[in-house]
Order: sequence, then C-alpha cells, then structure tokens
Amino acid sequence: MDPKFFKLLLLGGAVRFYFCRTPLAAMIGNRVEFATPLNSHKRMQEGIFLLQSGIDPYQGDLVHESPLILSALSGLFKNYPQFLPVFYIILDIFTAALLYTMSRRFVKQKQDQQNVERKEYAKDTEELQFSCLDKLDIPELVIVAYLFNPLTVMSCIGMTSTVISNLFLAFFLYCLVKGLLLPCLLVLAFETVRSFYPIVLIAPLLLVFSRSSIRRGVVISLLFIVSCLIVAAANFFVLNSWNFLDGTLGFIFYFRDLQPNIGLFWYFFTEMFEHFRTMFLITFQLNATVLYLVPLSIKLRKEPLLLATVLVALMAVFRAYPSLGDVGFYLALLPLWKRCWKFMAHGFVVFTFFLVTLSMMGALWHLWIYAGSANANFYFGATLAFSTGQIFLITDLLFAHVKREFCLFNGQKILIDGEEARIVLK
Amino acid sequence: MGLLSDPSISTQSKLVDGLARHVRLVCYALYVAGVAWFFCLALPEFNHGTYLSENALSPGLVYPEIRIDANRLAIQLLEELHRERKDHLSTTPHAWIAAKMNEFGLETHTHNYTLRYPFGGGKEYHGKNIYGILRAPRIASTEGIVFAAPYRAASSVHTDISASVPLLLAFADFARRKNYWAKDLIFLVTEQEQLGMQAWLEAYHDGDRDLDVSKAYLRPGNLPARAGSLQAALNIEVQDLEIDHVDVRIEGLNGKLPNLDMFNLVQRIMAREGIASGYKQAPRKKRRHSQSPFEQNLRQMLTMLASQSSGVPNGNHGLFHRYRIDALTIAANRRATHATLKGSPGSAAVPLLKAIEGIARSLNNLLERFHQSFFFYVIVNNDRYISIGDYMPALVALVACAFVKAYLTWSTLPVTNAEQETPAGLVREQEQEEELEPDSEPDKFELPYGSVLIYLTATLLIGFLCNVLPLQQYFLEIPMGAAPLTTSVLSFLSLIGFILPFVVVLPPGGLELLHVAFLLIYGCALIVIGLLNFALGFFAAVLTVPLVISLETKEENSRSTLRNSVRLATLVMNPMMVIYVIVLAMTFYQFPELSLQKIMLRAATAAMDASAYGLIDSVIYGNWLYFVICTIFLPLWIICWTLALSKRRDYADYLDFDESPSTSPQPKVKTN
Repeated sequence: MDPKFFKLLLLGGAVRFYFCRTPLAAMIGNRVEFATPLNSHKRMQEGIFLLQSGIDPYQGDLVHESPLILSALSGLFKNYPQFLPVFYIILDIFTAALLYTMSRRFVKQKQDQQNVERKEYAKDTEELQFSCLDKLDIPELVIVAYLFNPLTVMSCIGMTSTVISNLFLAFFLYCLVKGLLLPCLLVLAFETVRSFYPIVLIAPLLLVFSRSSIRRGVVISLLFIVSCLIVAAANFFVLNSWNFLDGTLGFIFYFRDLQPNIGLFWYFFTEMFEHFRTMFLITFQLNATVLYLVPLSIKLRKEPLLLATVLVALMAVFRAYPSLGDVGFYLALLPLWKRCWKFMAHGFVVFTFFLVTLSMMGALWHLWIYAGSANANFYFGATLAFSTGQIFLITDLLFAHVKREFCLFNGQKILIDGEEARIVLK
Repeated sequence: MGLLSDPSISTQSKLVDGLARHVRLVCYALYVAGVAWFFCLALPEFNHGTYLSENALSPGLVYPEIRIDANRLAIQLLEELHRERKDHLSTTPHAWIAAKMNEFGLETHTHNYTLRYPFGGGKEYHGKNIYGILRAPRIASTEGIVFAAPYRAASSVHTDISASVPLLLAFADFARRKNYWAKDLIFLVTEQEQLGMQAWLEAYHDGDRDLDVSKAYLRPGNLPARAGSLQAALNIEVQDLEIDHVDVRIEGLNGKLPNLDMFNLVQRIMAREGIASGYKQAPRKKRRHSQSPFEQNLRQMLTMLASQSSGVPNGNHGLFHRYRIDALTIAANRRATHATLKGSPGSAAVPLLKAIEGIARSLNNLLERFHQSFFFYVIVNNDRYISIGDYMPALVALVACAFVKAYLTWSTLPVTNAEQETPAGLVREQEQEEELEPDSEPDKFELPYGSVLIYLTATLLIGFLCNVLPLQQYFLEIPMGAAPLTTSVLSFLSLIGFILPFVVVLPPGGLELLHVAFLLIYGCALIVIGLLNFALGFFAAVLTVPLVISLETKEENSRSTLRNSVRLATLVMNPMMVIYVIVLAMTFYQFPELSLQKIMLRAATAAMDASAYGLIDSVIYGNWLYFVICTIFLPLWIICWTLALSKRRDYADYLDFDESPSTSPQPKVKTN
C-alpha cells in the first residue's frame, strides 16, 4: 500500500464530509435520481422507527429494506443520529479500499496469465498487454473513479442505502478475485435476498470456482441456495414473520411503487393496460436478469470479472428501481479494462450523453413537478436517453474486449489487399 | 448496425477525419439551419391555428346575464373612487374599498406585509392588500379563482388604471347574487405593483410557515382566510370604462406562460362581446400595407420572445405562475378620442363586464386544473401558435453546433507520444471526473485534467461570488445605493475574470481540453436554459454561437486578424457589455433626440440600475435572470476569453507537442 492510496482515501472522505454539511445533502436525499423507494434514507429511518416500536415495518408500503440491515443499524440510528453521515462516508471509503485491493490483485493475475501466454501474442500488441506500470495505475484509477465520481459522492451524502449495496458488491468482487468461496457465496446470498438482482452474479462465481467440473458447479449452486435460505431464515428471526419477503423481494418483483426514477419501468407501467401487467412484469424482469446472462456467460467464460462488471452494469440499467449510485459503482469498475479502451469508440459520445441527460433531468423535473408545465413524457425522455447512453457504454466495452482479444493474438495491423481489414461478424 | 458494433479495428473513422477538417463549415451550416428554421416558423405552413382543448371550459355556452345596472354601479363607484383619490394622493383608500366589499356581502379581509429593503443601509416598507372572498354555494371552499385588480395611487408615475377597482367591485356585486359558483371567488386589490401581489401570494401559500426573519427580504405575514387551492387567476387593468381595445398579457415570471387554453378562452369571449382584443394588441390604426403576413408574424414572435427573455412578468398575473396557477392580465386601454364613440357612454363598460362574466363562468366549469393544451408555445398571431415540438428544433440545431464541434475537436486532440493513451481511453477517465495529475514520466504526455478542472472551478467560483457578495452584510452596510454597489461588485469580478488568463497559463494540452470542456458546458447550459425559458436560451444561442464556432486555440496564426477580431468579439460579448449594449439600444430608441454622449451616459446609469433590479428581482420574486447571468454566462465568458487569448506556456519540450490538430489529424493510432 503506498501513501498515495491513503491520501486519496482521505481526500475522498473529506470531499464527502464537506458536501454532507451543505444544504446539498438534504436536497440529494430527496431527488428521485438518487433516492428510490428501495434505498431512500427516509424510508430507512421509518423502518427503524417502526422496528423499535415493535411494529412490523412491512405491513405498510413504505419500508423495503431487509430486516437484518434495519436491526443492525437501529442502534446507530437511535443513539447516534448525528454520526450517520460519517458512518456512510466510512462505508463508502471501505468500498473504495476494497475495490483498490481487488483491482491490484486482478492486475497481478492478469500479468501472470500474460506471462504464460506471451509467446502466442502477436508482435505489435505491447499496448494491449498489461504493463508493469498498470499494477499501480489501474488500482489508482479505480479508486479515483470511485471516490471522486460525483454520482457516488452524491449518493453517499444523500445517505442512500446504495452505499451499503455497493459495499457488499465490492466485497463480493474482492472475494471473487481472491478466490474466497464461502464469503463470496454468503455476501451474494445476502445481497440477493436483499435486492434480488444480484442473483445474476452467480454466473461469474460459478465460472471462477468451478472452472472444469460440473459436479463442483452443482455443489456450489446448492450451497448458494442453502446460504440464501440461511440468510432468509436469519431475516425471519428478526421479526418472526415472513412478511419481509413480500416487502423486499415481492416489492421489487411486482414493481408496486411507480415513483419516477432513472430506470425504464415506471413510465411503462403507468401507461400500460392493467391486464397486461403480469406479462410485461415477467418480460421486464427477465430482461433485467436472465436474458443476457446465458449468452454473456458463454462469451465471457474466460473473463469472469468482465462478466461481473457487465452484469453489474446491466443490472444498474434494467433493474426496477435503479439509482445513480449504482451507475457510479460500475463506472468505477471500467478502469480495470483500461487495456480495452483503445477500441472503445463511443466514450466521448457516452460522456456527452451522460452530461446532457443528467443536466436535463433536473430542469425537466422542475418543469414537471414544480412548474407544472411539462409532464412525465419530458422527464422520461431524458431518462430514456440516459439509459441509451449506458447501453452504448456497455456494448462498447464488450466489443472493445472482443477486438482486443482478437488483436492480441493476430496483431493490430492486418492488411488484406492493401486495405485495412475489418472484422466480419458471423 | 455499424453504430454499436463497428467492425473496424481502428477507432479512427474516415468520416470523422473528413468532418474534422471542416468543423466550422459544418457548424455554420447547422447554425444557419437553426436560424432559418426559426424564420420558417413565421410562415403559415409551419404554425397551427389555436383551438380549445379543454372541453369543460365551453366558452360562450351561457348567455351573459350581467346588465346595464352593473355598468351604472361601476360608473358610480368610479366617481366615488375619484373623490377618494383626492384625499389619498399617495396611498390606497383601503377603508373605502373594504367598506364597499363589505357592503356587497363579501368576506373581506386585509393583509399586511413588510419589505425589508436591504440596500443603502436598509429600509422598511409596509403595504396592505384587501381581498374579499365570495364563498361558493356549491363547494366547501376547496378551490378558488382569483380576480385581481392592482391599485395605483394617484401620485404613481405609471398610467392611471383606477377604473379597474370599480369594475372589479361591480362584477363582485353581480357575482354575489348568483348561486352557480362551484369555486370560491377571491376579489383582490393589491398595491405597490407586483410587490403587493407577490406578498399576497406568498402569504396565501406559505403564510403559516416560519420564515427565517434575518434572511427574508419580503415578510408576507399570514392571511386570515383562504379559499382552497387556486385554479386560475385573472388580473384586470382597466384605464377607463370606455375602452378601445384589450391587450392580453401572458408572459410570467421566468418566461413561463399560462396554458394556451386560457389565452384562447379569453380571446373567444372577447371576440363574442365584440371587443378588439389580442396578444400585444395595438390601438387600431391604419396598418402599413407594406407589411406582409410573414413580416407581421415574425415581428409578433420576436416581440413575444423579447418580453419573455428577461423573465420579468409584464403584469401581476406573472407571479401566479410560480405557484402553478394559470393567470393572465387583460389590460383594457382607454379610448383615445370620443369621435368614434358608438354606444352611449352609459353602457360603455358592458361588453367588458360581460366578457369578465363569461371568463369567470368558464373557469367555474373547470373540473381540474388546466392541463390539456400547451404550456410551451409562441404566439404568432392572435389565433395561431407554435408549439414546443416545432420551435425546439431551432434551438437544438444551434446547440448541436457546440456538441458537434466538441466531438470533432476531441477526436483530433493532439495527444503525442502517449503510446498507452488513446482518446477513447481518456474519455473514460474524464467521464469519471478524475482529477488526474500529469504523469511524472517525461516520455508520457497526458492531458492536464487536474489543472483544467481547477480552472473551471475557479471561474465557477467567480460566478458564485457575484451571487453572494452583493448581499453580504459588510457590503450592505456601506452607505451606497443598490445600483453602484451591484455594478462595482460585478465589474470587479469581471475584471478578475479578464485578468485570469494572463495570470494563470494552462500546461500544454490544457487549452484544447478546456476548449472541449467549454463547448460541452456551453451546450448543456443552453439546453437547460432553453428548456426553462426558451426565449432566453434562444437569444443567447443566436448571439453567441457564431463566436463560439469561430473560437480556436491553435498555435499558428494566433496573431492573424481573424483571431484578433474573435478576441474583440469576445470582449464585446462580456455579459456586462451585452447588458450595456441592450440598454443603450433601448435608450436610443426611446430618446432619439438626445446627443450620443448623453445617451451613452444615460444608458450607463440605466444599465447599472438594471443589474441592481436584476438582483432585487432574484431576491424578492425569484427571477432567475441574475443567477443565470452570474453563475453560468459569466464563467463561460471567462473561459471563452481564455480560449480566445490562447496564452501558452513557453516550454522547451513544447516542440514535440505542436502537432497541430487539423493539418495531420491523428494518425497516432495507425502509426503504432
């Protein structure tokens, strides 16, 4: 660990600390882009209050946090509410540190793999290979991208529970790279019971831990199911009721709250005829979970971490209640694929998309909700464009990876009849 | 399918290279297209006829029942009021108005408010509004409609509109006798122009809220009685009972407009009563026949946008918009000569009263708030409009210039020797707002993100100070008027912005990066401003886009006349200068007889006043103009000025950097 790492962590914490003391923090906590029904701080407070008063929080339609988290945080919420922002900041810094160690380990693994395969590489591909500098550069980029991304900063100062999700996801990735099966399974089971969508991350987990044997894979899957049941049971014992399943997973799956957010669900489900609801619900949830899972797992079977990155990103786009904090998390994973960047053609376009749509969201929300002159369509237009930008980014990353793999073994300059070759997709 | 799955290995596309060589041409073409589209909108093929979208309004469904006796009452009240005005030269005859409202059976209340004027040592002004509520017989005070009439004291410099109050009272008397009201009617008489209205509205909506007394400049107090959620409001400004024509005013705070249905409703009913009425209606006179319909339409559009762009409402109705209440003003102008008098003088106000009754009964029919029709429109003619979908492309084309130029500038950025860095890769970094410090290794050259970010923050800070400084306590304690204080703070900060590029010189590559960042921020800012207030965004775009297109930061021919003229243009585009020039032009039109020197002097004081008014408006009424100019346009101008100057560091290793972007557009990837 070099001192720069600690300096960055401190600076990141300081930035968060400064902003959480400005009026911005309260504003962010109320913005639909950051605080969704799932992760909003207010609902967490409500849930903890209900829990402490001995009322089942899931009987109403307000609280969707898992009971374990509620009971774990209830002491802090009750006794030291003034330290809550600091608590969230510490969690966020933990996430950053985990990402840092994870990416160090990852780069090292890549370099080892490279040393084995080096002979097969084409001649002019040094810039596509991981260099020795990358061991310092890439983790630093990752941590900077996490700590100083406005999206994660805002998400943290708004005290959304996305901060907690991000911590768990970072821990999952860390264990995945380190090869720690049991913690990996447990944390994934916990996140799955809490917010459903991380279930897709079982694919990279299986790819890492059961590389060749199917039997092992089956055992791991069974273990995963068992740990999910254990987590569910642990949740059950907090309140001695199964209500929480409907309050968290059911709430996510059935998409009961139509509050606008940056995702694609809300507008669609407000406009749709009610008797088609079940069908579209299943379609949308399939799209968010298994639709891309199989093809991507087959294509990226050699790169489980890239698979995890892409799945986390797709989750952030297609989940029922996405928030900008999720987006910030997967953006921080992109520097891991620095060696693919050369082939990413749409970076600037995506950046512009993000900038324009995010700034438009504020204006259109004002016009719709406060001024009353615009309407839902305007805001949905902006969020749709934002999602499109994200899709561009993910596709771009995937294609860049494919191209890098190809060029790594075949060289970057391939001339056919004196013209530059083009890859034909068949 | 090539967009997402481009099969070529190299990311450098030939199309981009080709376009990059003609950035300016492409951008100018877009600019011309945008402006041309705007002009086309004045053609009848491009705009649409107005129609009523909300069926519940059903204008003209009922026969007006108001009769000549209401007119007689109005005349009698006007005479009484004129007597009262002799005793109340500079105040409002509150007692008389309240007595009349009580006499007509309204639930009458008064509302006191205080303005704490912050400048020049601080002063306090007190004001008083009077309002009477007619409780609807058919509903439990859940909804209300406001009929407002501003009262101007006899000593006021503005046009006398004392006939509004008698007319309002006469209508109130009529309305009280009817049993069909489904919404409470509030009859409101305000004083001190918009201040009274603002105070009343704030008291109505937030009166029960505890204000931070030290910060609030306007203390609205609370109201003793309310009438539910306000659905619509009609502001009446009548110069005399004998009217020539009615001017319907719609522009509200920050360029907001009432629903087009409301405008149409007023137009229909006015037409039925035979009153010449319209948007920006001028006295009937012989029109110049030389004006084609196209020219008339265009003139109408431009005047509408001009009055919208400042964001200052042109009547008391504008303040309602902030609370999501659709409102407009009907300003009835006095008949100039009695020669064209048609009806008898005893029934002169009957059509207007009938019209007000018709509007009131239509609004009474509303089942929910105005929501059908359009909120974003430009009125081309009294019965033709342009909707947002039609006029937005003009602005989008203008803003697209900035984005296209940003993309092409970016894709030809001179990144040298950076074997490992590629443009796409760098975007990733920028996307995550990283504060990268330039690498220490000499052979590697990265774009100086950190310093550019700091530079941007510094300019934003200057803009932020413009907002905050003039209202700081220690500045306010200086015994100086609002105008000189604001102006001196603003010009001091602009001066800092002017000097900044001379003092701080960005590292190599910084200017190019700053250029791209500038274009992106500029584009975003224009889009957002255009969404909130189309007129302001559009005018700003038309004015500044050509300059932004012609900006360049190349090293060679930095002393050419073109570059120098760009620098000059940038200087002129300073927000302070622009305000001065606009005020100068207005002064010139208003007082063409003065000598040039006098006009310039007068314009200077007027511009100073304008900036102070802007500040006061933003503090009291919530007008965004001052904020937008200070926080967005001024920082943008500073960056623009930096780019126009293009000061560079004289580095020894500078030579291997000057691979100019357009002459050899990025062979970097291929040469590897």
